[in-house]
Amino acid sequence: MTCDDIRNTLPDFLTGELSAKAKSAVDSHLASCASCAEAFHKVGETWTKLGVLPIEQPSPAVRDRFYTMLEAYAQGLEARSGEKASRRAFSLRGLFARNRPAFRFAAASAFVLAGVAGGLLVGRTGAFSQKFARLEREVEDMRQTAALSLLDRPSSSERLLGVSYSEQVQTPGEPTIAALLRILDADPSVNVRLAAVDALYLFAKDPRVKDGLVASLGRQDSPLVQVALIDLLTEIREQRAAEALKALIADEKIHPDVRERARQSLKSLTS
Amino acid sequence: MRTMTDHNLMTEVRDGQVEKLAILFERHHVSLFNYFLRLTGNRATSEDLVQEVFTRILKYRATYKGEDRYAVWMFKIARNAHIDLLRRQKTTLPLDEQFAEPADASAPPEDGLEREQDAALVARALARLTPRKQEILVLSRFQNMKYREIAELMECPVGTVKGTIHRAIEELGEIYSALTREKCHDLR
Repeated sequence: MTCDDIRNTLPDFLTGELSAKAKSAVDSHLASCASCAEAFHKVGETWTKLGVLPIEQPSPAVRDRFYTMLEAYAQGLEARSGEKASRRAFSLRGLFARNRPAFRFAAASAFVLAGVAGGLLVGRTGAFSQKFARLEREVEDMRQTAALSLLDRPSSSERLLGVSYSEQVQTPGEPTIAALLRILDADPSVNVRLAAVDALYLFAKDPRVKDGLVASLGRQDSPLVQVALIDLLTEIREQRAAEALKALIADEKIHPDVRERARQSLKSLTS
Repeated sequence: MRTMTDHNLMTEVRDGQVEKLAILFERHHVSLFNYFLRLTGNRATSEDLVQEVFTRILKYRATYKGEDRYAVWMFKIARNAHIDLLRRQKTTLPLDEQFAEPADASAPPEDGLEREQDAALVARALARLTPRKQEILVLSRFQNMKYREIAELMECPVGTVKGTIHRAIEELGEIYSALTREKCHDLR
């Protein structure tokens, strides 16, 4: 293959549309042609560089407007088809009135379930149960996927949103728990770490969460997060926190208010 | 875990279960928003366009045949919504505003993080490509569309898509390098 032939494959190389055979030919050519190797390296770098563009989140108003439009459309459809409008058990406008992203997401999910449930209730019970359960799994999966994706974002506001989404998950999987614990341990933003403490409180019955909370106490450097963790461990009566609390009390570099809170917590746990 | 495919959901929407559009909205609205944001650089316009896409999906749901992948069909609608917007802007906006750099592309980053500065520079470079090159590059790089799908969407030969991606990425690299040099020069 000539240099021109090889360079014609550049877009395929970038987009992953290069066949295995062609890739092998390109690789062997690049190994012996510095000029083509340089050209590939240069465009490859630009292609990769595009990855720095963050995935932006639209404002909550987008969801509001969509569900308002969908509700109006569905009502119009029902009116035209002569079906009873009472199929929908609640007003979506009311549900989306609260200005909280996680709530909106939950409400959106609830709408999906309620809407489909309403539609299916008039049908056969067996078919309804199956479809409803499948949809419920799907919504749960969507929540976890959205949360996990957001928890990895470079922007702290997106990670906060991710923590918020994860609070809506009924039965968090290993990746969600691990991501929240990782956020609690290492997130550079105190606000995000505090939000993670709140989220983990909801899953505190999980032994993995208890282990993570106890281990994290000694790793925190922010007094705010230390106090939040102490309160949580006291609330769930986690006896294994005693050692970590004693270490905090003994450490003179720790903020006096935190040490005092640790003393009270230790007293409460051992009483 | 078994989930309903986009195609099955859209088929049900077409057949009257319009509430299933909520699942498609939850799956795709962020992706659509980012597609529009990269083309327009304007958050409010991009949000309006997302709304317009889902309104059109409902309006034209009966025309869904499932011949293309659902995402390709949806992006055809998205593309048309964007083209209609550009047509409307051409008749209402003064020339300098029509060709102004997208707001987000030149906005200063929120903080001093290097990655955010770099992202702002890449966004500026992308905004300097022609709209067609921008669009093909965005569909390929961010929507992971195959040449065939982009060709179907843009109604052009596959070879044209391939050639455009090649030229667009080379041009983008040059613009990015020039912007980086400008930035270094400004800092001196």
